[in-house]
Amino acid sequence: MSILELQAATIKFGGLIAVNEVSFKLEKGDLFGLIGPNGAGKTTCFNLITGVYKPTSGDIIFHGRQIQGTPPNRIAQLGICRTFQNIRLFPALSVLENVVVGGFLRHRTTLAGALLYLPSSLRETRRLKDEAMDYLKILDLDGVPNARAADLPYGMQRRLEIARAMATKPELLLLDEPAAGMNPQEKQDLMETVKRIRDDHGITILVIEHDMRFVMNLCERIVVLDHGEEIAHGPPEAIRNDPKVISAYLGEPV
Amino acid sequence: MRFWSIRLASVLIALGACVLLQALVGHASDYEQRIVVLVGLYITLSVSLNLINGITGQFSIGHAAFYQVGAYLTGYLTLNYFSKQPIHNMLLWVILMMFVGAIGAAVAGFIVGLPSLRLRGDYLAIVTLGFGEIIRITVQNQPAIGGSYGMNVTPKYQSVALVWLLAIICIAVCRNLLKTAHGLPFLSVREDEVASQAMGVNVTRVKVTAFLIGSAFAGAAGALLAHFEGFITPTTFGMDVSFIILTMVVLGGTGSITGSIFAAALLAYLPEYLRGLKGADGQPLMIPGSNVVAWLVAVAVAVTLTRLVMNKYSGDKLKKLALYLGAFALAVVSRFIAAFFLRMIPVMANKQIPIDQVRMVIFAVTLIVIMLLRPQGIFAHHEFSWSWVKGLFKRGEVPHSAVSA
Amino acid sequence: MTLALHLVAGVDFNTLPQQLVNGLLLGAIYALIALGYTMVYGVLRLINFAHGEVYMLGAYVALFVSYFMGFRPDATHPPQATILNLVIMLLASMVVCSIVGVCIERFAYRPMRSHSRIASLITAIGVSLLLQYGGALFLPNSPPPSISESVNPFHGQSKEFTLKGPSQDLVMLVEKAKPAKDQAQAAYQGWLTSHPNADIYNLPADGQALKEAQQSSTDIFNDAEHKVEAGGVHLIIQTGQAVMLVSTVVLMGILTYMVLFTRAGRAMRAVSHDFDSAALMGINVNNIVTFTFVLGSSLAGAGAMMTATFLGTPLTTFYGLAPGVKAFVAAVLGGIGNIPGAVLGGLLMGMAENMVVWAGYSNYRDAVAFLVLIIVLLFKPGGLMGSSKVEKV
Repeated sequence: MSILELQAATIKFGGLIAVNEVSFKLEKGDLFGLIGPNGAGKTTCFNLITGVYKPTSGDIIFHGRQIQGTPPNRIAQLGICRTFQNIRLFPALSVLENVVVGGFLRHRTTLAGALLYLPSSLRETRRLKDEAMDYLKILDLDGVPNARAADLPYGMQRRLEIARAMATKPELLLLDEPAAGMNPQEKQDLMETVKRIRDDHGITILVIEHDMRFVMNLCERIVVLDHGEEIAHGPPEAIRNDPKVISAYLGEPV
Repeated sequence: MRFWSIRLASVLIALGACVLLQALVGHASDYEQRIVVLVGLYITLSVSLNLINGITGQFSIGHAAFYQVGAYLTGYLTLNYFSKQPIHNMLLWVILMMFVGAIGAAVAGFIVGLPSLRLRGDYLAIVTLGFGEIIRITVQNQPAIGGSYGMNVTPKYQSVALVWLLAIICIAVCRNLLKTAHGLPFLSVREDEVASQAMGVNVTRVKVTAFLIGSAFAGAAGALLAHFEGFITPTTFGMDVSFIILTMVVLGGTGSITGSIFAAALLAYLPEYLRGLKGADGQPLMIPGSNVVAWLVAVAVAVTLTRLVMNKYSGDKLKKLALYLGAFALAVVSRFIAAFFLRMIPVMANKQIPIDQVRMVIFAVTLIVIMLLRPQGIFAHHEFSWSWVKGLFKRGEVPHSAVSA
Repeated sequence: MTLALHLVAGVDFNTLPQQLVNGLLLGAIYALIALGYTMVYGVLRLINFAHGEVYMLGAYVALFVSYFMGFRPDATHPPQATILNLVIMLLASMVVCSIVGVCIERFAYRPMRSHSRIASLITAIGVSLLLQYGGALFLPNSPPPSISESVNPFHGQSKEFTLKGPSQDLVMLVEKAKPAKDQAQAAYQGWLTSHPNADIYNLPADGQALKEAQQSSTDIFNDAEHKVEAGGVHLIIQTGQAVMLVSTVVLMGILTYMVLFTRAGRAMRAVSHDFDSAALMGINVNNIVTFTFVLGSSLAGAGAMMTATFLGTPLTTFYGLAPGVKAFVAAVLGGIGNIPGAVLGGLLMGMAENMVVWAGYSNYRDAVAFLVLIIVLLFKPGGLMGSSKVEKV
């Protein structure tokens, strides 16, 4: 059974159809790419999957269960977590604290225990911090756990977002333009990190990315959106040569 | 085992400190006792508002409403039911009333917290303020609880120890929250609601919890105030009180518990201290009108010059210090020059103003000056900690958070 | 059901039009003050808590100018009031308030601009307290002075409108009672003239009968006439209030013109859309902020001068507190930052307040402003005419 399935998912904002009957399936362990020109509806797709928007029609199925209309925090608990196109860290919190917030949804103590400062609550806090440090290591951020997130350079902020999302222990990780603003070397490192996340942790990954080389090298399967509609679907080689994709990106041949 | 012995010791120390304080001020005058109690109550109020405002980031500015709910609810119960119920120990009864006041105020906090789910920023602020005003005006129009005249709360129970115990509990609860992982969702909601939610934080629950805890402490403080003063009126809980509590939070540094405590102590003590100042003849101090204005001029000069040095001069620390001292000296000089000229104006020179009327002016000027010179608040977002104290003595080893890009 | 009955117990529908007109007048003043709040908020995203105090100072300026022109309360022969006096007072209030507003912005708000908004808010509260308590040290406030009525050339003038006459039956009743009353009165007077030495407190039987007849017929007539008066729907508008309303509308018109059709107004709108981009587009943002404070504060000054002169409220340094808070609520109600919204909010607020008074709950008139606000915000979180921005994810 597939891990995530969109069935004719559609959302309209007033008269604008942002996503129109998009359907695709993610199998467990996929490294899946979602591409398309600006305004194609990629981020809106993410917002549909993570519960920020409720689809006007169509179904979103996670592990055989309909999840459309579920609030975002519940969806994160179910095992889908995301990063944001325009980085949304908790700027005044430290790097470590940012990641602990991600891990917090699997905490096992009560608020009352925390207010009373019980040993169990302290142990839990320590456990969450240790786990967070592990995730920081994976993304090569373990050198700066106490820096304020806002003070980090851009590339590190992007990686911190991934670490924070991983701390929620998702089965499905949605990365929204993770390589934006990075230089070629950083992109290369990131690509390897993302592959490792999939291979070592068994997390299914769905990536939105503009950089064609990045997507083609990283992803095993790709869906192309244009004007809210799915125009192509398949492995990178097929997408590269698909005339519809070429015309969507470059325009019709004159 | 070690944990529990430390815990036991710290609880005992807290209790002991409160009892000791009670013994110390037990023989002081009513006026001095009242100052000590007010400082304790304002610490509770500002730390609890800091939880809502500074830590969770919900811009609530009607905190006096919860204070009032606690005071009136428990005052009414004591007045009407104390003699008819089996608890005759006043201490036990007042502790019970603290809980009742806390629960009553928490219910009010829940109701006020609900709009915070829909409203943001200034809109939430004005709704919380409005809620406070509605409660105050409603109370003012209920003759059954004294209306605008006020309500006598008998029997009174004046306990400095209880007030400070509440303050310590309030501080401890907020500090514990921030020290454990449970505090992080509160902070993350302040930072970014959308991202918090995407990380699985139940934003609704966090906001409502913050309002519940914050208002409960304010309600308990209200209960103690009612029993300490023995008389409460709706004007005790006006918009100005809400503003003063908010000011304490911002002045200390939003989000910093240490800052709230410090600012609360300062702002609760300052006006009362000024009120008590006596002149040479033992009468309340009188100040010539020209001197009041001259001091205002001096403060303006000092602030302007200090800001100039702060913003324009970035050089040697020692020279900077010298410039600050120079600014201070110029301000003092300008005070005398201004006084010289102002004395020529008959309205100013002939007017003697009692200190009681000047104290709110001093209060206002303090606010403006601190905000102009240190907009992030006295403590900014820092907390007091032993390592920070150690850092003061070890030069150059202060941990840096800045990262080289 | 009993609750509903209780709620309408104090209601007299014949006084409704008068209360609506009063609400309109009060609302116009709230709107004038609310414009100052909303414009400053629009440009700086700052709640200018000191705006109410600027209003208070405007009223004091009007007071001092009226003193200066000879309209002291203790003056035995005040000069003849003319409209020119009022215009001088109005202009003086507007000018002084503009200067005060600009100074507050320059020295208290501008240094805070780069810092958090809550810090500016606390500074604004500080300035507000400073003006309230500092002003109390030097401005006359106990006993609270008020502007002499003699400065108002329209004083005592009013126009009464009859919206609906009393019912025909009542009029008939009066018409019937009048000849009977006149007759009885004439008879009694005639008896008195024929008995010049009679003691009116101890009359002989025939005189006493005539006196009683005269008294009872007069009572019937008065009663009927009273009913006629109460039965009609009247509207009394004092000329001063009408002048106030017209001036308010004119001022709002001028403001609208300035905001919509002048260069500075266009720049102001640009700044309120995006402060930083406006600066990048070559707009001198500081000048525009100053311009905004001039507009807002002078409107507050005009409003203060008019209320202090035409309504004659005694002045203290807390004169601006209640109108300030209500006008601010009005601005939020209309959607803060939105100019037509502030006018709408002000009018609604004035109406709501007078409706509460009309319904017999005048003690709650200060609470209703907030109640209306909370209800509106729960349904429209951005105010009536404001847009609540949807955060883009």
